[in-house]
Amino acid sequence: MNSKSYKIKEKISDAFELPKDITLDIPKITILGADSATVENHKGVMSYSDNQIIINTGCGILIISGQNLAIKSIIQEEIIIIGKISNVSF
Amino acid sequence: MFILRIWNYFCGYAIIIVKGIKIERFINLAVINGIYLWDIQKIDYTTIKAKINLKDFSKLRSIVRKTDSNIKVMEKRGVPFRMKAMEKRKWFFFGLGALFIFLYIMSSYVWMIEINGLKHADEQAIIDNLNAEGLRIGVRKKNIDKREIENQMLIKVPDLTWIGLEIKGTKAFVTVVEKRPEPQFISREDPCNIIASKNGVIEKILILNGDGMVKDGDTVKKGQVLVSGAIIRDNLADRYVHSMAEVHARTWYEDVEEIPYEQIEYKKTGKTFNTYAIEIIKQKFERNKKVHFEDYNKSNKEIYILSFGSYVFPVKLVVTNYEELKPVTKILNETEAKTQCEKRLNVRINLQIPKEAVILDKKIDYFINDKSIIGKIYVEVLENIGVKDRMN
Repeated sequence: MNSKSYKIKEKISDAFELPKDITLDIPKITILGADSATVENHKGVMSYSDNQIIINTGCGILIISGQNLAIKSIIQEEIIIIGKISNVSF
Repeated sequence: MFILRIWNYFCGYAIIIVKGIKIERFINLAVINGIYLWDIQKIDYTTIKAKINLKDFSKLRSIVRKTDSNIKVMEKRGVPFRMKAMEKRKWFFFGLGALFIFLYIMSSYVWMIEINGLKHADEQAIIDNLNAEGLRIGVRKKNIDKREIENQMLIKVPDLTWIGLEIKGTKAFVTVVEKRPEPQFISREDPCNIIASKNGVIEKILILNGDGMVKDGDTVKKGQVLVSGAIIRDNLADRYVHSMAEVHARTWYEDVEEIPYEQIEYKKTGKTFNTYAIEIIKQKFERNKKVHFEDYNKSNKEIYILSFGSYVFPVKLVVTNYEELKPVTKILNETEAKTQCEKRLNVRINLQIPKEAVILDKKIDYFINDKSIIGKIYVEVLENIGVKDRMN
């Protein structure tokens, strides 16, 4: 994260106002109410259960916890999680 | 997303259950290999339920081997699987398709002609003329030139003032307007006579214009000139006028009716039976059934089986109903016969007498013989018998 190339990339994207999720390969997490969460730019599911889903991302491990969680759809770029979300943390 | 679901439905998908310890790795590998999984649900610690595209299913094999998991197909859904189920009933669908094609072809023909607006003209003559012009049962709708037929019909049938052709579904609606007889109108400037329309005795003659040829109390015959429009005087030039007059005359109507004492009445016994026949176009298919009633009433009922709104196809079910009748001999006495006779005479005579006429006298004479009673009615009325007639 603190490597030299990352910092240069960050500065360039700041300078050119490029979206960071593309240039820096960091996740973009969209939470719609408490019912669905979309994680773009993920790096795979690490653990999956009814009340906790752990997703690997470019800037660390993302933990989504809640109740009745299910993966609505999963493709290489994005993952859609539905269920009652109570907690999102890195 | 919704579009994707529909796409998946068309391609076919399966609901699978995957069992394995490294279940997350299974999901990740699937994603990396470009396998689209959706609606992933965890059932227990090592089991998930997911949906997968049919074409991706074969790609799963290598992943399954790598992750040591177990796959079970729970359900197959989508169009390809539906098609398989339909294949078993292919003749049913084939028949259904054939029926629709048949109906489509049939619906491009005319199967029924309905004529509206007829009052006095001969319906059969109009139908014959329509047939000759190309509008007949079983002709293609495309081949009908409505304007041309309308024009030709007006030329061929002089009784019509207007004809309208409309094709709706498989029915052809022909609306006609008949020519009304032209009123015998004589302009006030034209000279005319007044003649008698009936035989009678003049009761009162009131001349407004013209020369009276008859006086009150004269007996006149039908066609006789009552008031002449030609005024001829010895020392004046001849004048021809439009004569006008009210001619009230006594006229007579009579009628005869015979009522036999012994009358046979047919009464319904309540026994009925039906015969059925199917009529396709004009071909009748029927089972010959013997009617075992001696006397019967026959009535036909036609039902169009294949009729969808204005799309009527020429398949008819003809139900013929027979009602048994039993003759009952009834013997009337004289008074009964008289009342019956009077009733019938009154009805018949009233049809002959014009509405404006005033009935002055009515008399019924009865002649009685052994078997029947004969009634003779005389009615004397006062009516206007003057009719204008153009002078030649």
